[in-house]
Amino acid sequence: MMLAIKLVISLLTISSGILFANPVVFKHESQRDQKASFIQEPRILNVYSAVDLDAFEPLLRAFVEKSPNTTIAYYDVNTLELYHKVVAEKDRPKASLIISSAMDLQLKLVNDGLAKTYQSSMTQNLPDMAKWRNQIFAFSLEPVVMLVNQNHFPGKTLPKNRLDLLKSMRQHSDAFQGKIGTYDIRTSGVGYLLASQDARQADATWGRLIEAFGSHQVQTYCCTSAMIDDVANGDLLLGYNLLGSYANKRALGDPRLTMIMPSDYTLLLMRSALIPKFAPNSEDAGLFIDFLLSPTGQKLMLSENLLFPIDSASQAINISPKRSHPTRIIELDQQLLVGRDHAKQSRFIRSWESALELTELE
Amino acid sequence: MWQRSADLAETEALELKKAPSLRKRFIFAGTGVIAVIALIAINLVFNYSQRLADLSYDRLLLSALLQMDENILAENDTLSIDIPWSAFSTLAQANEDRIFYRVESSVEGYITGNKTLMSKPPSQSELGKPQFYNQTFSGEVIRLVWLERAVTEANIQGSVTILLGQTRLSRETMAASITTRAIQVILLIAIVAIILIMLGSHLVLNPLHRIEELLEERQPGDLTPIKLDTPKETFQLKVALNHFMARLHKNLEELENYTAESAHQLRTPLASLKALAENARDQTTPERQQEALEQIVQQSENLSDTVTMLLNQAVVSHRLQTQRLIPLDLVSLIKKSCMEQAVTALRQGIHLSFESDAKVLLIKGEAFSLQQMMNNLVDNAVRYSASKALKDQQTKAVDIRIKQGVDRVVLSVIDYGDGIADDEKSRVFERFYRANYEISGSGVGLAMVKEITDRHNANVQVSDTKPTGATIQVDFPLFIEKESEL
Repeated sequence: MMLAIKLVISLLTISSGILFANPVVFKHESQRDQKASFIQEPRILNVYSAVDLDAFEPLLRAFVEKSPNTTIAYYDVNTLELYHKVVAEKDRPKASLIISSAMDLQLKLVNDGLAKTYQSSMTQNLPDMAKWRNQIFAFSLEPVVMLVNQNHFPGKTLPKNRLDLLKSMRQHSDAFQGKIGTYDIRTSGVGYLLASQDARQADATWGRLIEAFGSHQVQTYCCTSAMIDDVANGDLLLGYNLLGSYANKRALGDPRLTMIMPSDYTLLLMRSALIPKFAPNSEDAGLFIDFLLSPTGQKLMLSENLLFPIDSASQAINISPKRSHPTRIIELDQQLLVGRDHAKQSRFIRSWESALELTELE
Repeated sequence: MWQRSADLAETEALELKKAPSLRKRFIFAGTGVIAVIALIAINLVFNYSQRLADLSYDRLLLSALLQMDENILAENDTLSIDIPWSAFSTLAQANEDRIFYRVESSVEGYITGNKTLMSKPPSQSELGKPQFYNQTFSGEVIRLVWLERAVTEANIQGSVTILLGQTRLSRETMAASITTRAIQVILLIAIVAIILIMLGSHLVLNPLHRIEELLEERQPGDLTPIKLDTPKETFQLKVALNHFMARLHKNLEELENYTAESAHQLRTPLASLKALAENARDQTTPERQQEALEQIVQQSENLSDTVTMLLNQAVVSHRLQTQRLIPLDLVSLIKKSCMEQAVTALRQGIHLSFESDAKVLLIKGEAFSLQQMMNNLVDNAVRYSASKALKDQQTKAVDIRIKQGVDRVVLSVIDYGDGIADDEKSRVFERFYRANYEISGSGVGLAMVKEITDRHNANVQVSDTKPTGATIQVDFPLFIEKESEL
């Protein structure tokens, strides 16, 4: 049956002013049959998503297989871009569904009244920390990790936590020069979220860490996948603050890579979905949210090593042999707005830039 | 025990069905009052729960505002703010409510927060004093707290304003839950109160039922006072019943006396008739027989008069008890009565004269009984005058006069007969008392007059006529129209 569903990549011209990445389209086999298309006009579900297509594709396929009349147009966008795009389109949104790991930006969209309320038996089962106002719904929970290339890592032991990392950097200062990668918090929404949560959790450690990053010429990245690539090929020794689901999938298939959940504390991040207030085809968007939260969708995430399902949050922590270390779930509530406060954000980015000895972005 | 007839029981049942129920009225009135009170209470609860919810959540809002205020700082001579995470974790206790804020200073203008949130408190703002108010923003009514204070940094002059708001969802939820709970309690109390009223009405009306039962169980002739311990509220009822029964008892006694005396009065003339009849039978000559028969006829007429008088007395008594007194003209009534009796009087050699101060004089009275009174007075006067006229061999007069006093009307009937001895004057109004047994009469007439005048609140008295004779004066209260209720 999987063969029956064809992945169709088509080039579409975007009518909106912003030139946007071309979407990947998923259709059911029957929709490609011309005769069948007479019978029923396919419904288009436009998804703006910051989830890597690799990690999401099986879920999209499974959905169109289940709902043959729906065609998904998938726009893969960076978390920060995604936010600005939704704000720009707030009165006439093109997207039916917004999916992102930048929880603070997603929550800000809801707080500013850009999201539509949706309720179903699936959303009702979600715990309170995984939804807000019935307008934003978390569907996965994953740890924020460090990824190490153990072949190139200096010293006998791999760091277990942030202090270990600082110690290694001190001891093998030369080896670490230019070999550490982390998010550019100026261009990545989720990167900013993770950095601000670090600063919130352990301000002193965070200060020392970015000082050390700055003195070792840290490399900044837009996305987790690029960082993983560079760790794997040895360009980096270590990536800091990576999304656990991607890192885990790659580490399972690559013996060079070791994923570390810091034992001082591990942040747990949720990916969330919301429907824009005036979204076209919000019915299908709701059905897609239900599908992500359904046992089928959640099992698929786990079995295919895509994402860590929300319904069994413990699963995500189980991957670590040491269960005793503290985890900090970033909850979906109003506190996330503080990190995105205009004054706080510019001050935080300024101090980050000066610590990392980076020049301001143009 | 007294048995009701079936018919009577049926009518009573029908009447009972139609009759308004004291208990129902009591319950309806009580329920109405409770319903009104409950509605007022519910209304108050609505307002109160709103205020209570605002009060609770305003504290959170203020606490968050003050945390923000504490973190206003100066960076390179410009003002900024480092909002603490805890400020919003306070606000997150209203877990579904959106948050809006704006920080600005008089020097720099906008510092951070929602650029579009522009607001001023509705009341006079005061430096350093937080103000709470509602405003519509982003499609919802939000609760705002507003604080402007002077800047305390050394190099910066002016003031800084913090505006912090949240939507009202949690407040409404809290108010609704308080209201729901309070309404449940109010309804419960109201229902209990209504049930208590129902039970109470039974209890309150119970003494009435007890009196009713006691009366029902009585023997028909039992008119003794009710001896029952009753509460204060039914004490007057008991007293009234007892008074009523006492009057009834007295009336019954009078009736018994009257009947006995009437029978006695009738027996004497009947015995006399019998004697005359026997005498007539035993007479041998037709002349004597004729004479005896004349006597029988005479005696029969007297007897007939007595019976008529007794009947009239009965009718008058009945009318006096049953008819209401209405305003009527005494002058025309007396005049008419005199004219009716004038001929009869003249036949006995008596001339009736009538004079009156006024043409019309109103009193409250009952026409039939007043006529009877007049008949008796005139008849009495004529009778006593006639015997004297016969003796003196001359025509006599009986004068009837009406005089108007300030608030009285005085009727005088004056005869010029032999008069009444002083020691008898007080007794002439007693029933069956007769001052002069030579003059025919029943002994009922003046007693009836007394009864009638009593009923009309009038005084009656006997005095001597100069040089000889008796005057009977009846003194009626004058009816003054203004006092009437019309």
